[in-house]
Amino acid sequence: MSRLYGDPIEVWTRDGEPSQFVWRDRLYVVRRILDHWVVAREWWKTSETDPGERRFWRVEATPDREVGTYELRFDTASGGWLLLRAWD
Amino acid sequence: MFAHLHVASAYSLRYGTAFPAALVERAAEHGMDIIALTDRDGVYGAIKHAQACLDAGLRPVVGADLACADGTRVTVLARGHAEGWASLCRLVTAAHYAGERGEPAVTRELVGRYAEGLAVLLGPGSDVGRAVADRRDEQARDLLLAWRAAVPHLAVELVDQYGYREGGTAARMLALAESAGARTVLTNAVRYLDPADYQVGDVLDAARKLVPLHPRHLEHTTSHAYLKSPKEMAQVAARVCGGDTRRAARLLTSTRDLAERCAFDPRELLALRAQPARLHLPEIGRDPVPLLRNRCADGLYRRGLDRSRDVRGRLAAELDIIEAKGLSGYFIAVAGITDMIRAMGVRCAIRGSGAGSLVNYLIGIGEVNPIEHGLLMERFLSEGRVGLPDIDIDVESARRLDCYRAIYERYGEERVACVSMMETYRARSAIRDVGAAMGLPPHEIDVIAKAFPHVRAKQIRAALSDLPELRESGLGDRQLETVFRLAERLDGLPRHIALHPCGVLVGNSALRDITPVERSLLDFPMSQFDKDDVEEAGLLKLDVLGVRMQSAMAYTLQEIKRVDGLDIELDAVPHDDAATYDMIRTGRTIGCFQIESPGQRELVAKLEPRTMHDLIVDISLFRPGPVNSDMVTPYLESRHGFRPVVYPHEDLREALAETNGVVIFHEQILRIVDAMTGCGLSFAETIRRTLDTPEGRERVRSWWEGAVRPEYDRETVERSWQVLDAFGAFGFCKAHAAAFALPTYQSAWLKRHHAAAFFAGVLTHEPGMYPPRVILEEARQCGVSVLPLDVNRSGRHWQVERVSPGLGPDEEGLDTIGRGYGLRVPFSAIRGISEAEVDRIVAGRPYTSLSDFWDRARPSRPVAERIVQVGGFDALHGLTPGHGPRWRPGEPTRRDLVAQVGALDRSSAAGVTVRPSTRASRTTSTAAAEALSVQMPLGFTEHITPGELPEMTETEMVAAELEILGMDVTRHVITFHDELLDALGVVRSRDLLTQRNGAEILVAGVKVATQTPAVRSGQRVIFTTLDDATGPIDLTFFESVQARCAATVFGSWMLLARGVVRRTGARAVSLRAVDCWNLVDLDRIWQEEGLDAVRSAMTSQPAPASAVGGRVIEYANGFKLSPYADVGPAPGVQTPPRKLWHASPGSSGGGPTRRSA
Repeated sequence: MSRLYGDPIEVWTRDGEPSQFVWRDRLYVVRRILDHWVVAREWWKTSETDPGERRFWRVEATPDREVGTYELRFDTASGGWLLLRAWD
Repeated sequence: MFAHLHVASAYSLRYGTAFPAALVERAAEHGMDIIALTDRDGVYGAIKHAQACLDAGLRPVVGADLACADGTRVTVLARGHAEGWASLCRLVTAAHYAGERGEPAVTRELVGRYAEGLAVLLGPGSDVGRAVADRRDEQARDLLLAWRAAVPHLAVELVDQYGYREGGTAARMLALAESAGARTVLTNAVRYLDPADYQVGDVLDAARKLVPLHPRHLEHTTSHAYLKSPKEMAQVAARVCGGDTRRAARLLTSTRDLAERCAFDPRELLALRAQPARLHLPEIGRDPVPLLRNRCADGLYRRGLDRSRDVRGRLAAELDIIEAKGLSGYFIAVAGITDMIRAMGVRCAIRGSGAGSLVNYLIGIGEVNPIEHGLLMERFLSEGRVGLPDIDIDVESARRLDCYRAIYERYGEERVACVSMMETYRARSAIRDVGAAMGLPPHEIDVIAKAFPHVRAKQIRAALSDLPELRESGLGDRQLETVFRLAERLDGLPRHIALHPCGVLVGNSALRDITPVERSLLDFPMSQFDKDDVEEAGLLKLDVLGVRMQSAMAYTLQEIKRVDGLDIELDAVPHDDAATYDMIRTGRTIGCFQIESPGQRELVAKLEPRTMHDLIVDISLFRPGPVNSDMVTPYLESRHGFRPVVYPHEDLREALAETNGVVIFHEQILRIVDAMTGCGLSFAETIRRTLDTPEGRERVRSWWEGAVRPEYDRETVERSWQVLDAFGAFGFCKAHAAAFALPTYQSAWLKRHHAAAFFAGVLTHEPGMYPPRVILEEARQCGVSVLPLDVNRSGRHWQVERVSPGLGPDEEGLDTIGRGYGLRVPFSAIRGISEAEVDRIVAGRPYTSLSDFWDRARPSRPVAERIVQVGGFDALHGLTPGHGPRWRPGEPTRRDLVAQVGALDRSSAAGVTVRPSTRASRTTSTAAAEALSVQMPLGFTEHITPGELPEMTETEMVAAELEILGMDVTRHVITFHDELLDALGVVRSRDLLTQRNGAEILVAGVKVATQTPAVRSGQRVIFTTLDDATGPIDLTFFESVQARCAATVFGSWMLLARGVVRRTGARAVSLRAVDCWNLVDLDRIWQEEGLDAVRSAMTSQPAPASAVGGRVIEYANGFKLSPYADVGPAPGVQTPPRKLWHASPGSSGGGPTRRSA
């Protein structure tokens, strides 16, 4: 059962892919990338600037021993990361 | 090296965004050596792809991405040109003939039928891919096996554009293919050149699907569908293979293998560039070479030229070139077609450079004798020219499709196809599609689009700031910024495919192995290639152009025969009729072919043509080139003896004497080059073509220095070079002009001698630039009566009737040439009438009453009301609207009849019938109906008392005519303003000749034409013609006044203008406009505030802002061109506004009752 969050998080990347992130004061290490997709923004609603795209990663990550599945989102326009969902 | 095998270019209509050349160039930058083009549902871009590959040194693969009947898609590739091209063409043709027109569709069975030589790719859009995506694994497997059984060369296509769940689907498709032992290939399903192009793609998706931009409608917005580099594709491969490097390597190798198998040498497709060129010729049945020789020999005798040694020599030279190029069969085939068209009784004339060929004259393709006019074959066909000759023939526009049908019947559908052309996005169409995608209301989109001239889409925002009428429009505000920005990005993209107006391919039974064919709107088979592509593919074409003037003249001849019983053989009319040339010289040429525009009326008045040759010169001079390199003034001055005729050298006298020393024709350039270098006319033609570009001129210049014969001195060489430099690229082909001059003369002759019939032809077929009301006004000026619509006398088209000549001064003159004849307004002029209604109305004549008409002709209610309103029943019911009192008790009025139409409609809707005859059976009871109808049987269910409603006033009549017929029949609209115009001292057209040169005067009229042609100064000059019931008034608005006037000129239907008189010829006057106003606005001020207010409105001027902007294009010979000249101007206001003039006192109540259902 997944839960929705939408919390801003800090993410470290390696080769363009997330490798670890901090969520609610805990460090999570990414073990495996399960899926990755990209969604273009509804650019026609925004102004002239490039609205960018949203890059999603679904990863297996662990703060300690228990492995959970987490969905991270990177917004190229704002440069910020969110933790969207978690299955833990 | 990776090769993209699934690439959509801009020729995937309203889907792709990049042209083949750009894609190939990018592929070359990535170091790729093979690239495919697989456009949607066709190979529209295949030839251009092959050309781009040849230029860039790549090997092409060609294929198509085909829609399946179940909504999925499948991509097919030709396995090499020799093996697969014919199959690909046949499959694409079959797809277009299987589905609805414009909705091609294949099935697995259909693909299987043509699969020999093709590789079939099943990607994520295929039925297999869809099943995998939906996790219907069993079904996916079954479908894959079914495909494998149907086609010999199958591959599963893996695509991952980083969409949601896309990577997983690709991985499972890979697993499925591996377990089934099928080949796999990796593609990127490319539709963009750069990632950022996805926004254009989204707009195209919305435009194609006719939906607003919304995530709900855009299934797959991604920026990853661009032409990725090999490195990026390796990353995709790794992703699809789950990081398994060996599997990824296998996938890439397998992709490469298929690319190698399908790639071919681009020259195989570009038949014209092969050595020797591979031409696709019609089947003649026997050896065409002796056949053509025999036909030419027969022609020599038939044309009476057999004794001339010169002619025989010329014929031998032409035949040598034709035979060396292997084109004898083409000439035989074309001659067969023109013979057939003439045998059908269709007017047919040769046009263009083909008129310069003696062979065309001898075998009867054309009627212009090239020897007589000094025309050269080399301009048409020469040894040095790569490319195929085009024979152009003009036929009656109304019979063009009959001609096409006859050609198909003769050669069979398999061997014939029309040429297509791509309609591309320009400013207006781009604004329309983007506006719709952005969800703007349709009427707003329409207003915005129509405000723009016919410029390129990428000029939209520049035009907004450059053009005064757009600066004032308020369109430049922020709200529309996004619409315009996106519209600009659609610039030049193909929007839809259309039938080329004239190109017809005539080939042999293998034609459909060379080009796919689809159905055009009129169900003619249409090649997917445009006119350039067909030439590159080695296909010979014939241009059969429908010319409205030919139809107008054919109709004129019919009317003369019907009314006067005269049979006129137009082609046999002598070419030296003084009365005809007299009429042309006075500039009374409205309606005539080629010489009716304001500029031409001015030119013919100055040039004063007296012979056919003068007309040829006139037509050649009135071209952008000659006008802009200023050939006109020197020619006119020499012609009228104001300056001596000079030749650069005595040896050039022969070439230049016919035009008084001024170079006008291409043929003269050829003769000059040949005379001074002895290089021969064929080579001279190559030289002339080289003069087209600045670099070419440089090359020719250095060649010229060396090639000129030694006997010419330095100065002559220099002087003659200057002539070539200035005029070489700008002259006009005399053969074209000679072919045009004949119908020009013929139309003028018909106008002069059979004016009424001529105007009937012109009104019916509308060959010219003016709206019908101008032609009608010109007819009135010539003494022809205009007769109102009458249900019992009007016909389908404009018809001539004899009328009493009337009592006028028995003078000679152009104002009386049509006297004794009338023109009857036809049913087809009524707005909104259908063909079927016209058929029924015409078939049912005569009618005894309105109810009889309603019963038997069965018009729709709005059409019946309109016919009443414009007087169609006046004669039948004895109405006399416009005169006398408005209330006339006991007498029927038009309004009573309109009310009766309503009553008839209600009673027939309710099923109430008075007579035993129902509306379904009406043949038996006509006599009974007549008996009942004589006394206006108004009382079926509702009783309408005659005279119950007031009669229409003259004002209302004319307003109704303008709205319903689009022209004022009873009275010219401007005459309603006479009082104001007289008060202001406005000068009428007929009095212009009495004005002194330089006088500043006021004129007024209905705007009938607006043009912005190319002029030498580089300005955008607006030429406007007004019509004020006494003739045309030509106004010129230079840029200096446009800041003030442009918006008014484009935005008004009736204008009042102040201008300076400019005498342009003995009988010609035009005005340089200084200011202008919307006459309807002035009229309102006059009615409400009086004459002084009008005068002050005309003096208070806002300070002129800056004029027209934009970078002027400058040519080497000094000719400058405004970016807004020489394009179609904004349509502006073309229909009369609702309220044209203030209601005259006494006409209370609203306008005529008009209720449209």
